[in-house]
Amino acid sequence: MSVSLATTSPPRTERLMQNGVSAAANALPVKCHIRNVNFYYGKFHALRDISLPLHDRRVTAFIGPSGCGKSTLLRILNRIFELYPGQTATGEILVDGQNILAPGLDLNVVRSKIGMVFQKPTPFPMSIHDNITFGIKLYERLPKSELDDRVEQALRRAALWDEVKDKLRQSGLGLSGGQQQRLCIARAIAVRPEILLLDEPASALDPISTQRIEELIAELKSDYCIAIVTHNMQQAARSSDFTAFMYLGELIEFDETEKIFTHPREKRTEDYITGRFG
Amino acid sequence: MTAEANMVAIAQRETRRRPAGGAGDMVFHGLTIFFALVVLMILGGVIVSLFYGAWPAFRKFGLGFVVGESWNPVTDNFGALAPIYGTLVTSLIAMLIGIPVAFGVALFITELCPTWLKRPLGTMIELLAAIPSIIYGIWGLFVLAPFIQEHVEPLLIDTLGNIPVIGLLFSGPPLGIGVLTAGFILSIMVLPFIASVMRDVFETVPALLKESAYGLGATTAEVVWHVVLPYARVGVIGGILLGLGRALGETMAVTFVIGNSHHVQASILQPGTTISAALANEFTEAVGDIYQSSLIALGFILFVITFIVLAAAKLMLIRLQKGAGASA
Amino acid sequence: MQIYTRRRANNYLIVGLSLAATAFGILFLIFVLGTLLVNGIGALGPTLFTQATPPPGSAGGLINAIFGSLAMTAIATLVGTPTGILAGTFLAEYAHGSRLGEFVRFINDILLSAPSIIIGLFVYAILVVPMGHFSAWAGAVALAIIMIPVIVRTTEDMLNLVPSALREAAAALGAPKWKIVVMVTYRSAIQGMLTGVLLAIARISGETAPLLFTALNNQFWSADLNRPMANLPVVIFQFAMSPYADWQVLAWGGALLITAAILCLNISARLFASWSGLQK
Repeated sequence: MSVSLATTSPPRTERLMQNGVSAAANALPVKCHIRNVNFYYGKFHALRDISLPLHDRRVTAFIGPSGCGKSTLLRILNRIFELYPGQTATGEILVDGQNILAPGLDLNVVRSKIGMVFQKPTPFPMSIHDNITFGIKLYERLPKSELDDRVEQALRRAALWDEVKDKLRQSGLGLSGGQQQRLCIARAIAVRPEILLLDEPASALDPISTQRIEELIAELKSDYCIAIVTHNMQQAARSSDFTAFMYLGELIEFDETEKIFTHPREKRTEDYITGRFG
Repeated sequence: MTAEANMVAIAQRETRRRPAGGAGDMVFHGLTIFFALVVLMILGGVIVSLFYGAWPAFRKFGLGFVVGESWNPVTDNFGALAPIYGTLVTSLIAMLIGIPVAFGVALFITELCPTWLKRPLGTMIELLAAIPSIIYGIWGLFVLAPFIQEHVEPLLIDTLGNIPVIGLLFSGPPLGIGVLTAGFILSIMVLPFIASVMRDVFETVPALLKESAYGLGATTAEVVWHVVLPYARVGVIGGILLGLGRALGETMAVTFVIGNSHHVQASILQPGTTISAALANEFTEAVGDIYQSSLIALGFILFVITFIVLAAAKLMLIRLQKGAGASA
Repeated sequence: MQIYTRRRANNYLIVGLSLAATAFGILFLIFVLGTLLVNGIGALGPTLFTQATPPPGSAGGLINAIFGSLAMTAIATLVGTPTGILAGTFLAEYAHGSRLGEFVRFINDILLSAPSIIIGLFVYAILVVPMGHFSAWAGAVALAIIMIPVIVRTTEDMLNLVPSALREAAAALGAPKWKIVVMVTYRSAIQGMLTGVLLAIARISGETAPLLFTALNNQFWSADLNRPMANLPVVIFQFAMSPYADWQVLAWGGALLITAAILCLNISARLFASWSGLQK
């Protein structure tokens, strides 16, 4: 991967990116370049100069102690932070070469290309079928039969079809927690996004549901670029290909998951992974 | 400015300038703003139209309007003293009776009542508030007033009427209708409002706080007096002010039983009038500009009084919420 | 030990008094409703619903008043509900932390508790005087003005209960703000909002003062919205204060009808709220 460097990017991050990652990994296509991203809650400088690549068809995990900014970073990727006044982001986020942080873009269109699943399952107060078609109908005009096909595809991909195929007209609120979260995943992938953002998707679920979500992520990765925030290190180690360790708003280390968890380069990374803090 | 700060400033400017996505957003946002402004315009309209209608009377009588007792449609000489006095006195009676009773009800529901009874009791108290004032009015006229005339007023006259000074409050023939009856009905009407607010505020007191007092061996009365009330003090006052606002503006219940006399009298057993009762009784038959304008002027004065009371209540409740947020 | 016995006696006193206070409140509720039932039952009968209000000294019914109340309440609801809901939506969805929002909320709460007779005076000045006569339209407008702050308040409260995660999930799919509000947030809060509307209708059903100077009253059957229209509260006022026994009986009957309607609305609003709460 030859990254053309902007002159403002500090040398340290580039060294991290170039030296640590193996040549094979460097050859993978990059879906999204995060470049010199800074984030402010009002005057508070919450994220400092974050730069890293998100590889296509791979899972990139973000780990770090509470308050390190990993969720904040995720929420910049689909500009969901702009729902709230007083929060600003600078820098570039290039998705297939286009900077999605550029001013003048239609936010809603940007967001329709980037899917997000939240910590707590958020089914809409509608039938399961309508939950899935909600996103599709925003931007596509499809005949009913095709809509039904898309619903079935999304639910199959989210490993939920068999459980709900007979109750598509029932409210999504009637499902269990794990099923609701898979419904949210189905809803997100139904619109065929470019990137899938998962913000601690299993933290509100029981261990069995968590396991199923992790299996799902492993399957979905063959079609999507996935970024997942997790406070569960074992989950990151199990499910991801690349890991970014963040601390106090800075990107401390980014590397292939195996390397991060076996020979991390930074002392702070090692301290976190071995449980010395956080 | 550093390059970085410059970038932040640019990004913040961009964020503020970006329009809402699409025509649908602008239309909907515009609709919501429009109807919110309608609310403002209604209140503004009320103030303006009242003042405009009251102006001829204010101009003719000046500030003397507020203290003039005469109310003479024939000579076109009007003064607001009797209605204002009646409004204040009936509301005062309503508060004197209503506040302790509401406190007792709130105390009972929050601290003493068994759990299965809480919901139905609360509902019954709220039903008291739902009954429209005209019902209280006719009930007061046909049931309460005769009762008070036959049983309560003779008693008061014979006992309290003989005490010097206070006796003046209870003199005169027992008529049944009058300031006391009106005040009493008002108290029943404001009771559920004050009790509801008190109950809500009492329930925000953290259980931990009450438990630590109980744990020291305090009785229920002591816990409520020394722990719950001080904690809920601001909310309680806000609730009382809300009830007062209701009492001041109440029309139909009072109109039936107040007796409609434009005289200021010391005795609360005698008839009187309130601003809203005067309006209800006389407005549709008021002939002549000054007569009508004087009535509207009464309405304006009532509005000002209730506005002040309600604004004070609101400010207190806002302060309560901010305080709770700070301590939470 | 003396201190303790005194404290205990004090406690019994306070507890006893609060029990008495509650009994007092419940007693009066039963007393009022009971009297209403006893006196109003005598007026119930088919003629109540088929004949119009009679002149003094003869028998009759309340059909014109019932119609008038229903008509004006319906119009007021049609006007007041969208106004209140949209203004409440402004406060909940677009005005967080803004000064305008706080100001509107403050003014709304003042209007909520303002004396309803003042509202009647206002509508008299802006509608009756220019039109030159009393009318049902004016009455409906006055009732709508009383409804609006109630609906604004309940709508805002219900919308604020919808978790922000739900809005974010819709935004993350690329939905524009108005679709998020209408298709997701409203759907989530609809039951609470409807309960608020029901309670607002109950509130205006018994209002008399605002109708005194707007719709006035009408002795005869009339469906002309442009003319004074009979309505139950003003008829009760007029008949109850009169010396005629026939009229007084009708007044009690009308009072019973209004109270029954209001209690039904209140109870069904409560049932609706708890039933929908159970559904989730």
